[in-house]
Amino acid sequence: MAAFTRRAFLQWSGLTCLLFTTRRLFALAPLRSRGDVPWKVQQVLKQLFGDRPVQEGHVQLDVPTVAADGRVVPVMVESDLPMTANAYVKAIHVLVDNNPDIHIAEFRLTPEIGQAFLSTRIKMRMTSPVRAIIETSDGAVWGAAADVRVTVNGCG
Amino acid sequence: MRRDVGAGRILIPTTIRRGDVIDVRALVEHPMATGLFRDPEGHPIPAYFINDVSVTYGDREVAHFAWTSGISRDPFVEFPLRADREAPLSFTWKDNKGGVFQQTVDIKFAA
Repeated sequence: MAAFTRRAFLQWSGLTCLLFTTRRLFALAPLRSRGDVPWKVQQVLKQLFGDRPVQEGHVQLDVPTVAADGRVVPVMVESDLPMTANAYVKAIHVLVDNNPDIHIAEFRLTPEIGQAFLSTRIKMRMTSPVRAIIETSDGAVWGAAADVRVTVNGCG
Repeated sequence: MRRDVGAGRILIPTTIRRGDVIDVRALVEHPMATGLFRDPEGHPIPAYFINDVSVTYGDREVAHFAWTSGISRDPFVEFPLRADREAPLSFTWKDNKGGVFQQTVDIKFAA
């Protein structure tokens, strides 16, 4: 066995440090990515859309960044997808990750609604991402998410 | 406690021209109780909320909403509608205790 030299010590400590920092970086990565969907929400999405992936884009979700009262949180969902007789937005779903009921509302629309737009007010239990998911008549699923900070519990 | 559970209001623009995409706003008075809150004496307040909303324009259903108690008290909703015919626009709200509330407005075109 080689003698315990200064060179060997520095090499090993350098490697170990590198190992720890990379582990830390990997551990932080999922927290930073907004596309990370919690398991309980994935289950709901699977129930709603089966194996169809939720694609990003085409959905504009307008929610406050801070909601003082979780009992009344305004939500606006808008989409640039067409609303014509053969291609239209079939449904708008609103999901709140940390609510007792994750899938809080489903709005089924028809082409007679001239434009894919919807505004309502929801309850939120605590700070959570809000997701708006749009289902089109040809089966495509589009989604958007935004974080809302809640200070007063609105669900009990 | 509530004055008028089920009192609905629909707001549409005053002047509508044929083919306009109008803004429809509707509100119904309802406690939308989640069943998770307790009253000041500690008794749980049972769940009482609207879970089904149907919007018909003339003889066709143009929108249908499935709600849970996650919608705020006195649920409000706003959406566009292509006004292409003169017909009544009516909302039917149904709650989990069998209550059915209805409100209708007439869509008429400006002369």
